Amino acid sequence: MILKELWHRKANTALSLLGLAGIVAFLVGFLTTADAAKRETRRITRDLGFNLRIIPGTTDMDRYWFDGYSSATMSQETVSRLAAQDGIFMSYNHLMASLKQPFQLQGREVILMGVAPTITSADKKKRPMGYSIKAGTLQLGFQVADRLGVKPGDQLSLGAKEFSVTKCLVESGTEQDIYVFGHLEDIQGVLGLDGQINEIKAIDCLCLTADEEPIKILRQELAKVLPEARVIQDRVQADARAKQRQMIENKFGFLSPFLLVVSALWVGVMATLNVRERRAEIGVLRALGYGSGRIAGLFLVKAILLGCVGAVIGFGLGNALALSVGTEIFKVTAKAIQTDWNLLGMAVLATPLFSAIASFIPAMLAVAQDPAVSLRED
Amino acid sequence: MISCEAVSKVYPTRSGEVRSLDHFDLKIAKGEFLVVRGGSGCGKTTLLLALGGMLRPSSGRVMLNGEDLYAMSSQERAKVRSHSVGFVFQMFHLVPYLSILENILLAHPGKVSRSVMDRGQQLISELGIEHRVHHKPAELSAGERQRAAIGRALLNEPEFLLADEPTGNLDPENTAEVFKHLSEFHRAGGTVVVVTHGHAADAYSDRVIRLDQGRLVEINGERESTAE
Repeated sequence: MILKELWHRKANTALSLLGLAGIVAFLVGFLTTADAAKRETRRITRDLGFNLRIIPGTTDMDRYWFDGYSSATMSQETVSRLAAQDGIFMSYNHLMASLKQPFQLQGREVILMGVAPTITSADKKKRPMGYSIKAGTLQLGFQVADRLGVKPGDQLSLGAKEFSVTKCLVESGTEQDIYVFGHLEDIQGVLGLDGQINEIKAIDCLCLTADEEPIKILRQELAKVLPEARVIQDRVQADARAKQRQMIENKFGFLSPFLLVVSALWVGVMATLNVRERRAEIGVLRALGYGSGRIAGLFLVKAILLGCVGAVIGFGLGNALALSVGTEIFKVTAKAIQTDWNLLGMAVLATPLFSAIASFIPAMLAVAQDPAVSLRED
Repeated sequence: MISCEAVSKVYPTRSGEVRSLDHFDLKIAKGEFLVVRGGSGCGKTTLLLALGGMLRPSSGRVMLNGEDLYAMSSQERAKVRSHSVGFVFQMFHLVPYLSILENILLAHPGKVSRSVMDRGQQLISELGIEHRVHHKPAELSAGERQRAAIGRALLNEPEFLLADEPTGNLDPENTAEVFKHLSEFHRAGGTVVVVTHGHAADAYSDRVIRLDQGRLVEINGERESTAE
């Protein structure tokens, strides 16, 4: 009877399915692309760069800001010591030790920068940010490569040691155009500063919001672990990271409940119209001795059936949406957008329940309807 | 037997109360064919619905085989309607998306057994609509639809058949056909109450009563001051 009624009132059925499939499609599309969005955001924020610098505590800050590096150094083991602290990755993430010093290269001063592989929390399984450079290789800033006429694959001597140039960077428009990047140990050797670093780059935790004065908290934590070091925060980058992530979370955070309410209202209105259209039918069923439970059941079982079908249609639409529109929006991580079959199970369980709840009031209206009134109206 | 004891039904409206039945008393004997007549708004349909357990009176009692119908729970009343009462309406009220056979079987509570199916088929045959078994109501003539509605009312072999203007939308030929079926039910021992404007049912009736403003004013053409 329910299936026949669904088929008979095609417009109501189609519009109810539209409401249910629409919200499922949105949520499936959102959840399928949410990972992509997170990955994309991670990439964007990574490209914004590290926003924390841990430098030797004895650094002359006036010189530091003037030169762009600390003339003081600290032991390389400080980074291992920092990484070994319990809970340190709650505040400091992606620790990258480096040594940065000026160097005379073929008659001109360049900045040599040696970087160690980034250390991340073993628990969080995050992909390390930053870049790694193989031992024995160099990457040249645009200005250096241009001046020396060096191309990838060429050999370049730094002091007594010869290196292979693997990359000539594009023009950055910053002081990095006169940088020469190498593996930390190689650069330490070239500069005669074995086992020394003068900066640990890191990223702060987004759980620290601006109103909490994050730098104060970060400094307090660091003082306990590395009293010989001090931390400075690039506020511009930190704010940009926070805004980028919050923007995505806020947009979806606002849209999801709004669309859920709209969808529930839609399904509820469709069910109410259906009840009104079936007033005489309900009256007859009453006259035939159908009880309240059986009449309410007709509407609720119908809502559950619509929910099941809506879930499957919505899942298909949501996936199509994610796989077409999602890959357009998140170009960097497009390949990672894939059908999540777990969402089908969740949709098939949750949508009928949602539909039944949205149809509950109309079903109760049907039960409460006075059959005498509806039978006399016609 | 069904009886009304001082039954009143009052509808509150914006312009004041409308008294549809006013201290109405009536006894309908088992196996009686009763015709209820009266002008529009005199309380005929209200009386029929109250007799069938579909409309709770504002005051008074409706007794069915010695039991107060409205002292029962709504579930018990639904059971009484299902087993003891059959309704026939002017507008037929067949479910539009079910076939004629399905509409008739709709009256059966629970799973349809072979014997119920046979009973449905038998009724369809008796009502002369066997060629319409699998048709939808919209594909039938008004007379055929009303015969299908009668089949639905008779499926559970009720004691009482309550018909509200059953021939209001029918031509004389179909009107005669409908009363023929109601009369057959009556001859088989069933009790029939027909609410109607016309006189076509008079020939089959044991008694004709007339209502006016919710009161019984005439029995078999004679003015009454008390209802019997």
